[in-house]
Amino acid sequence: MTNKRFVLSTMLMLTVVLFFACSKSDDDPNDNNPSGTDEFKKGMLVNYADNIIIPGYTDFIAKMDLLEAAVNAFLDNPSAATRDAVKAPFKTAYLAFENVSMPYFGPAAALQLNSYVNTFPPATSKIEAGVASGTYNFTQPGISDSLQGLPALDYLLFSDNAVEKFTTDTHAANRKKYVRDVMDRIATLSGNALSQWNSSYRTTFVNSLKTDVGSSIGSIVNQLAFEMDALKGPRIGYPFGKQSNGIVFADKAEAYFSGISGDLAVANLTALKNYYTGASGDGIADYLVLLKKEQLNTDVLAQFDIAINALKAIPAPLSAAFTGSPATVEEAYKQIQKLLTLLKTDVASATGVQITYMDNDGD
Amino acid sequence: MTVTRIAPLVTFRITFGLLMFFSLLRFWWRGWVTSVYVEPKFHFTYMGFDWVQPLGNTGMHLLFLVITLAALLVALGWFYRVAIVVFFLGFTYVELIDVTTYLNHYYFISLVAFIMIWLPANRDYSIDAWRRPEIRREETPRWTIGILRFQMAIVYVFAGLAKLNSDWLLRAEPMKTWLPARSHLPVVGQFMYEEWVAYLFSWFGAAYDLFIVFFLLNKKSRPIAYGFVLIFHIATAVFFPGIGMFPYVMIVSSLIFFSGEFHEKLLSYLPFYKNRLLSQLQTSYNYRYPRFITAAIIIYAFAQVLIPLRFLLYPGHLFWNEEGYRFSWRVMLMEKSGAAYFTVKDKSGQEFYTVNNKEFLTPLQEKMMSTQPDMILKYAHYLAAEYAKKGITEPKVYGEVYVSLNGSRSALFIDSTVNLAAQKQGWGHYAWVLQKETSKN
Repeated sequence: MTNKRFVLSTMLMLTVVLFFACSKSDDDPNDNNPSGTDEFKKGMLVNYADNIIIPGYTDFIAKMDLLEAAVNAFLDNPSAATRDAVKAPFKTAYLAFENVSMPYFGPAAALQLNSYVNTFPPATSKIEAGVASGTYNFTQPGISDSLQGLPALDYLLFSDNAVEKFTTDTHAANRKKYVRDVMDRIATLSGNALSQWNSSYRTTFVNSLKTDVGSSIGSIVNQLAFEMDALKGPRIGYPFGKQSNGIVFADKAEAYFSGISGDLAVANLTALKNYYTGASGDGIADYLVLLKKEQLNTDVLAQFDIAINALKAIPAPLSAAFTGSPATVEEAYKQIQKLLTLLKTDVASATGVQITYMDNDGD
Repeated sequence: MTVTRIAPLVTFRITFGLLMFFSLLRFWWRGWVTSVYVEPKFHFTYMGFDWVQPLGNTGMHLLFLVITLAALLVALGWFYRVAIVVFFLGFTYVELIDVTTYLNHYYFISLVAFIMIWLPANRDYSIDAWRRPEIRREETPRWTIGILRFQMAIVYVFAGLAKLNSDWLLRAEPMKTWLPARSHLPVVGQFMYEEWVAYLFSWFGAAYDLFIVFFLLNKKSRPIAYGFVLIFHIATAVFFPGIGMFPYVMIVSSLIFFSGEFHEKLLSYLPFYKNRLLSQLQTSYNYRYPRFITAAIIIYAFAQVLIPLRFLLYPGHLFWNEEGYRFSWRVMLMEKSGAAYFTVKDKSGQEFYTVNNKEFLTPLQEKMMSTQPDMILKYAHYLAAEYAKKGITEPKVYGEVYVSLNGSRSALFIDSTVNLAAQKQGWGHYAWVLQKETSKN
């Protein structure tokens, strides 16, 4: 090769490299072009979308419809009896939400669904101020999170003397409107999330076969750890006094007023196990087996069961157990932390998922 | 003193400057200036550089603006000396703010920028030389190109030596863990679950790093060697996009191994190169060759060889303890992840508070801290100060940290009974880091 030809070919190659460098969007989270295939990963994601996430939202919306019927019956004719009739559908709807708490990415994240639907504890005095004045704004990110959603309903419908506040209270009419607005807001948000999944996001989701931030597998693994962290902190640890020198703040627990915190925690962790296994189809569990990490998978599954049983062993209601039966709560907390560690280190490592977009040169 | 053609230095100046210019724009465009240097409330400073602090939202963006423009001026050779000094100081300042974002190629960039301060890279085909033709030179002392080649050699050879460990060669880790994550790639994706591919990548990577410099130095093998440079680094960019600009930095920097004639031909395709005022070109170098340059080069070279070897002074498993790990060209060597839980107790040990790391750290900071002892200690000290502010007397900080390394199962990383707040930061061995258990899968 003559020198000149070599110089020219080097220049050509460098141009190609630079073009590649500039146009390369491989680390762009929004680029999920199905340029290649991995039948296993694709099948796993189809399973997550079609058999778990989309049915999860559908179910939550259906349960919210049932709740709405009961809430309307109560608001039209407030009494202890009609209020008590709300309890069962409220619990069913809240349990259904635990099934869609995990997929907080894609449409749900864009809508900030979880923040608006399940930020607890509710800001009770701000809610009362909103009821009294009749003016409130549910669409301010962050600020309005704790004014609405299921925790607000929990407070409005099940706190002490709740029924009287809908009958004899001067702001009874305002209060009814507030409840209806909260219900409408949840319906709008969840309906919106479902329709996005049904229209375009499903395709995006099942074709995203990478493991970086924003990819489907990355989101699932990171959200498993995130939800475990929420279970360890806000759901159990904080009300139990883990951040406050052991001083119990039972009213910080999820759904404190209706007293279903324990059931919700069990439902949350059971849902997480479902997301881990992929239920009857392929999930992260099967992916680990494919990666020859059978022992890790076995250990994670066992730890899920240990943690779920430890949660179940806490006598209901959870709010009373914080002070009445602290040893059982402590044990559940410990087992949850063990499971969190496995998911955050061993599983995250084995699946090669990233947690940030930042460049790295291998830890 | 021996001299050689100056053209390689000119190409290096232009390509390095442009690459830095675009890298910095990319960093800015991705919002990292804000997310890395503005948003965190706490930064993991380097020992001895605690005074290097971020400059606030406006300040950091101004600093990036200045460095970005300096990079462009370096490429153009316009106020070169000032520009490269500003670039070196600015870039290094930014990198010293937070250990979290340490990358080997950022360190490389700082070193190269420092070297370039002393090189006459603007003495041909530059705006400086166009405005002041009297500074133009056709030749340059050999050491000015030699030192850049030496720096490249250090990077490659130490990166290669670092790969000579049992995880890399005998277990093909972390390749075995990372490659299945790339199964979506066209054509090659289907092979990513195969073990032999992980071994092929590992062994080829080690051999490449160890020997490429020698093939680049040899005139005969150089063209083919550079073909390997392109193939290797493009492959790295495709398989590990998270590595960022590193492949491009190496592809461009490796051109320094080519001859002056090659570079002159390369540059001749650029505008104005051929018809610049050759008449005024002075071939002879008349600046003196002070003895301190020789001394400085020898000291620098020794430091470059010794710094990556300092890990030998520490006991224990290098990848586990990470004592003497940074600044040693250990790139893409391990998959390490951790979970760190901290508890703060008061003087009496009666009060206790579990720490929510999210309250103090960004996700990236938490991830990096969870696996690196010096960062764990720095964070523990910060926690002690923060909880003291909250009114806890003489806070004690305990860490329960679990780490998984190269596919081995997570294990307790540090002694959870040690009050980290009472442990001193320093260069010595941290005895509170537990020994790595023999790995089990």
